[in-house]
Amino acid sequence: MFRLMLQKLRHKKWMNCCLLLGSILLIATMVSFPLYQRAAYDRMLLDEFRNYVAEEGTWPTRNSFLFASKFDADGATIVRAEKMVDGLCADLGVTLRENIRYYLLTPKEVRSSMNRDAVAGLSLRLGMRTSLPDHAEIVNGEMYSDSGLTEDGSIEVVVSEAALVNMNILVGETLIFNNLTDAEGKPIRIYVKGVYDMAERNDPYWQETPEKMVDICLMNETLFQEMFTGKNAINYSITCQYHSLFEYEDIKADQVKHLEERTDYLTEEGPYRSLVKVPEYRQILDTYDKKENRIQATLLILQVPVLILLGAFLFMLSGQMYEMERNEISVIKSRGSSGGQIFRLYLFQSLFLTCVGGALGIPLGAVFSVVLGSARNFLEFDGSRALEIRYTPEAWAYAAAGMAATLLIMTIPAIRHSRVTIVKLKQQKALKKKSWWEKAFLDFILLGLSLYGYYSFHKNGGDLGGNVLRGESLDPLLYLSSSLFVLGMGLLFLRLQPLIVQLIYMIGRRFWKPASYVSFMENAKNGRKQQFIMLFLILTVSLGMYHATVARTILQNASDNVEYLDGADVVLKEYWKPEIRDGTLTGKYIEPDFSKYASIDGAASYTRVLLQDEVNLDNGDKSYTPVVVMGIHTREFGGLTWLPGKLSGKHYYEYLNELAVDAKGVLVSRNFHDIKGYDIGDTITFTNHKSESMTGKILDFFDYWPGYSKTVSGLNPDGTSYTDENFLIVTHFDVLYNQWKYKKPYEVWIDLKEGYDSQYMYDWIQQNDLRVVKYNNRLDDVEAAIEDPLLQGTNGVLTMGFLVTILLCAVGYLIYWIMSIRSREMIFGVLRACGMHKGELFHMLMNEQIFSGVFSVFAGIGIGKLTSDMFVPMLQQAYAASNQALPMQLITKTSDLIRLYGVIAAVMVVCLLVLILLIFKLNVTKALKLGEE
Amino acid sequence: MAKSMSENLVIEVEGVNRIFPVPGGEFQALKDINVKIPKGNLAILKGRSGSGKTTLMNIIGTLDQPTSGTVKIDGQPVGRMSDRKRENLRRRDMGFVFQAVSLIPTLNAFQNVEFSMRLAGIRAGRERDRRVEECLKLVGLGNRLKHMPAEMSGGEQQRVAIARAIAHRPKIILADEPTAELDSAMGAQVTMLFQEMTRKEGITILMTTHDVGLMDAGDMVIELEAGQQVQGV
Repeated sequence: MFRLMLQKLRHKKWMNCCLLLGSILLIATMVSFPLYQRAAYDRMLLDEFRNYVAEEGTWPTRNSFLFASKFDADGATIVRAEKMVDGLCADLGVTLRENIRYYLLTPKEVRSSMNRDAVAGLSLRLGMRTSLPDHAEIVNGEMYSDSGLTEDGSIEVVVSEAALVNMNILVGETLIFNNLTDAEGKPIRIYVKGVYDMAERNDPYWQETPEKMVDICLMNETLFQEMFTGKNAINYSITCQYHSLFEYEDIKADQVKHLEERTDYLTEEGPYRSLVKVPEYRQILDTYDKKENRIQATLLILQVPVLILLGAFLFMLSGQMYEMERNEISVIKSRGSSGGQIFRLYLFQSLFLTCVGGALGIPLGAVFSVVLGSARNFLEFDGSRALEIRYTPEAWAYAAAGMAATLLIMTIPAIRHSRVTIVKLKQQKALKKKSWWEKAFLDFILLGLSLYGYYSFHKNGGDLGGNVLRGESLDPLLYLSSSLFVLGMGLLFLRLQPLIVQLIYMIGRRFWKPASYVSFMENAKNGRKQQFIMLFLILTVSLGMYHATVARTILQNASDNVEYLDGADVVLKEYWKPEIRDGTLTGKYIEPDFSKYASIDGAASYTRVLLQDEVNLDNGDKSYTPVVVMGIHTREFGGLTWLPGKLSGKHYYEYLNELAVDAKGVLVSRNFHDIKGYDIGDTITFTNHKSESMTGKILDFFDYWPGYSKTVSGLNPDGTSYTDENFLIVTHFDVLYNQWKYKKPYEVWIDLKEGYDSQYMYDWIQQNDLRVVKYNNRLDDVEAAIEDPLLQGTNGVLTMGFLVTILLCAVGYLIYWIMSIRSREMIFGVLRACGMHKGELFHMLMNEQIFSGVFSVFAGIGIGKLTSDMFVPMLQQAYAASNQALPMQLITKTSDLIRLYGVIAAVMVVCLLVLILLIFKLNVTKALKLGEE
Repeated sequence: MAKSMSENLVIEVEGVNRIFPVPGGEFQALKDINVKIPKGNLAILKGRSGSGKTTLMNIIGTLDQPTSGTVKIDGQPVGRMSDRKRENLRRRDMGFVFQAVSLIPTLNAFQNVEFSMRLAGIRAGRERDRRVEECLKLVGLGNRLKHMPAEMSGGEQQRVAIARAIAHRPKIILADEPTAELDSAMGAQVTMLFQEMTRKEGITILMTTHDVGLMDAGDMVIELEAGQQVQGV
């Protein structure tokens, strides 16, 4: 059996190569998804932690406990706590960085051995901190020794500089506690051996900085434990702090669930729940979870069509192969082989192909996922962003599933064919029938379903945004609707295609040359055989089109939105010192030096923008509406801001001009008209937080303004989302500045010259020692928006899906053509014998290619365009950030389409070349001899 | 034996050799063949399989070229013709009937016959349709115009092929074992049909066969044996 199988494999080597290619791709694609997702999640998780560290400056993965051991017999409390903390990281499943114990005795009065007055009445706390020598540097004196005691039996301690200054103690001084005695009842003496400071500024060891340890003397940890814990604990009251720090860099996405569960147990149910705070990382993990859910669902939805296409391809190929072997099978069958034997033969063959496919596909899957991770846009890659790929159990499960599916798909056609005898075969061949789907009107059913989905989403489209805010995934039905639409349209085209070809034939009936005539007839009679490959082509092209548009639209809108909301290249707000007069805050701020902005060489221009919140609009009925007022220098502001495209009927500069000529005028957002009912020429009054009011005449209403979002969305504490109107008043900087005494600090909006990046600004801020409270950099923000894992993953999956399907498409199309030509070689010979030129034969085959291939490609393009127009706006809504302010624009970039068409054209050209080769290799006499057998 | 030797010769084969390269040497399929067939003759080419019949047919049908020697069709030496000219010669002046079924499977009987006329450049119209029907009636299939090849028996298909070969009124019909797939009665019928056509339409027919019973039907017989002409020189 095995030898027979190998023989069969060799016999149909090209076919089997294609089947193998299909199975490799299917398995690789299957494997790549979990690999990519896992790697993307790992990166996303790490990003979350790093962002936290960058913003907060503290170590996020830390559990801290605080309790007091008060005269505890045999010190069991401390022992238990230490044991719990030591085992904590193992329990959480994370890599321990450091467990820090920090024990302090209650403050006790000391006196100096030298009887210095300055020390009299001073209270000090004696304590210890584990591994202090590793994290501290000695700035004066020495660190305590290993024994921890001086020769005369005093305890060596070190103190912080703050303690030294604050408590006025001296290095080298011996202090004696009045009321603190050792186990033997002798008063404890301490010797101040040195002064320490943090060895490194950002060391997470220093949860309590030395500056704050003003009354604390730290001693050798072993000595402390000997003297004050264990059986001696009964004599002392000790404040115990534990910090258990673990490495966040090592946390992988698949550990998150366990970590969350154990942390929740620790803080909510465990015996130490009252002693522990909810750690900071818990919130980070929550955020991460929400993102992960969203990405997971989205990617899954995107992947399914690709997998279906792959499966369909394999099914088609193996069906095709059995078709070729039908005669052989039927002959074997008629000679008495059982169906079971034939089936087994094919099962072995499929098994062999699947195993080889798995062996090559699983490593290839890793390559795929790297490609996925580097996708920046549709069919656009950025190699610098490598993902770290790990084979997880999940990936193996996917691989197994992929292999099982491959095996199944390749074997199913054999079941059908193992039952066919030669008699039945001839009967089957004689039958010409409509495809089952045509009879079942599947195309209309699919279109109906998808349009139903389309309209129901259209009706309650507003809800999609809320879903996104709540971190829920986009509705799978939404994506499904578009996929069904594409499929339905594809099938509808297949139904219409013969009619279209027939129509063309009828129109030119009198003019068609013999070659065209034969091709028309061929299509009319045999066209249905190609339906599968045509559908494949249509789906690939239309989904490619659609996905290119989806990817580009989502990405472009996301970055446009960020650009718009940022307002300018750089928006910077400095910290203004509150003004203090006679020891009280006046409510005013001291303006920092503005002239330094002139030193930004990279700035093309800059302007001050006085943005005031906490302003109330007087509604005239004693009610107030919160509004935002923006004071601008019209000329400068207009010089460095812009609005994308044609958003309003009026050009943005016209608004600025209107404002420029009227010192008392204001520009207000459209909702002043739509909701508040104001008209142009009306006067509005608004009041700041210090009850200073100001009036302005409405000059115009705008829909968009740099940085202005019509609504503000967010989440309520209960998890529901809210959307509030955002009212904006734009007025003159100077008017506002002079009219209100109490104003909040202004922002500086900067237009950067070409080539000045965020590092430049960062350096400038450092050099000028600016204390910044708000800083937006458009380049950075756009980059961050683009690098969002959801967008990245979407682009990756879409690109990969397209490449895989187009590759399969090309292979499938070629196989179909080669087989079709091979099977018709004799006819070609007859045609040549009858005097048909090679050119005519070529023309004939070209026509057939046009009817199937080119028609399908154009149908695919048309369907792709239609689907994009219909579904992308909805899909985009689902992807939109919570702060989407700009109207969604459908973006199709010519470069994307050129890439797409380029790939398709390359495929078609290759097919054409193979055709030409086949025709020129066609030997008339040989072909005719073929017919003689 | 021949009807008239003095009339103009339609097929002239002079000193034709055909050598095929084979692994490890050469194989001479035809050796110094000389055949002259006058217009309106039914010539029968006989010989065992492997004797070179098909090779000679292919060379006369301009599908293959001799290694040496000349072939003239209607007085024109085909060896000097361009591919394009030879193809035009085939589509206008020749009709082929092959041993195996050679109809275009996607065309029905009528369309198959019509196709050779299309190729020969005969314009569409009532005249052409009439001719197609006439030819199909001639082969006894006047009632099966719309049938597809797959719906007909082997003999019926072969008769359609004959109708196709004659429809455009070629000067020559080359029939390679046209009766091989037919029963003897049908074979005789086809041969009679050929005889009738030589008489009625003045077509020259070269037909290969190994059916001894049909030998007498021909106006002349050419016999090949291992590539050499043993009769009809």
